[in-house]
Amino acid sequence: MDVTARTDTGAVINIGKKEYREIGMDLDGNERLGAWQIKEIIDLSLPPGKTTEERFVAEFPEGTKSVDIEVLLTYYLTPGYQSVVHRVSKKVAFER
Amino acid sequence: MRTTKFIGYMLVTFFLLIPVAVRGEINTIDEIEKTYGDKACMTCHEKIHGEWQKSLHSRSVIHSLGGLRNFIVFGLKRDWKKPVNRENLMRCMHCHAPLLEQASDSLAAEVGELVQSAFDGNEGAKKQLSRLNVNCIVCHNTVAEVEINLRGATKPGVYYGPSGRSSAAHGTEKSKTITSSAFCSRCHWLYTPPDGDTLYCNTLYGSYQDAYKAAGGAAACQDCHMRAKGRGHTFPGAYVPEMVKEGIDIDLQATGVRVQPGKGVPAAIITIGLFNNAGHRIPDG
Repeated sequence: MDVTARTDTGAVINIGKKEYREIGMDLDGNERLGAWQIKEIIDLSLPPGKTTEERFVAEFPEGTKSVDIEVLLTYYLTPGYQSVVHRVSKKVAFER
Repeated sequence: MRTTKFIGYMLVTFFLLIPVAVRGEINTIDEIEKTYGDKACMTCHEKIHGEWQKSLHSRSVIHSLGGLRNFIVFGLKRDWKKPVNRENLMRCMHCHAPLLEQASDSLAAEVGELVQSAFDGNEGAKKQLSRLNVNCIVCHNTVAEVEINLRGATKPGVYYGPSGRSSAAHGTEKSKTITSSAFCSRCHWLYTPPDGDTLYCNTLYGSYQDAYKAAGGAAACQDCHMRAKGRGHTFPGAYVPEMVKEGIDIDLQATGVRVQPGKGVPAAIITIGLFNNAGHRIPDG
């Protein structure tokens, strides 16, 4: 999941990134641990029936009047095969 | 006309019943395909066969070349210095190509070589391996029952399904387990090979049981991956964007504030909620 902001002046600011995955493989599909090696499961995935919440606090250059926050959620299967699950955005204005 | 129809019918019946006759060591992929292939099923079950061809079950070996190659090259050969024979290869192939259970050690070794070669990009090897998969006979006969120790193994030549509706072409029997999540768990969970070891290749069912069912979830794997939207035997999963979209809801909240008294630097507090609608963790397999 990538979170970015585009300011009213056009600057793109990376706010944060979060990865959800199995412990056995990295995002490129390379095995980190073989099936015979996984003895402890560290679950870095999204659990069923639950909301996983992420919070970010981002500061912007002085003078910024508004930003468009965009969240891009990508399902990354293997290199060269990924699909956009959600792309949502929200405009935030900074009142004086 | 009548005679031609009869001969055709007898041929289908013959091929469907072949697993009764051939129970032994098989030396070539050709023989595996001839004996346990899906072609005969296609004659009567064309629609279902077409669905299955779109599924990853039809590509269960060539889709997993990386993991299979790692097991052979880094596991068997490097770490344990074990031969690539049937017994060892079946630790993977019990799920990826259960039909190899009838393979000879020489065929197992050949398949091992093909996996390495296909992983390195050899298209010919890939084509050969594409004939090994989880096909009709696997789910509807070989692994159709889960209570093997209590009810006995499945009967050769009998095809198990949710209805048990009789067929003139082959024996049929009703299987309760084939519609249950437990049926899928034999591969999409832990695997215990004959030597009693435990392989954590896929932990999807563990998540289904411990996190979804335990919290009151009631759906079975087949509800979402087969019955919903007429998905049938395509068994869509993570490779179908629509499935992933259905599985995850997103909520974005953002508020603008000014921080640092005196300066009033513009800032945003962003909260993102990802709700997993699926009956198991995401991602998983």
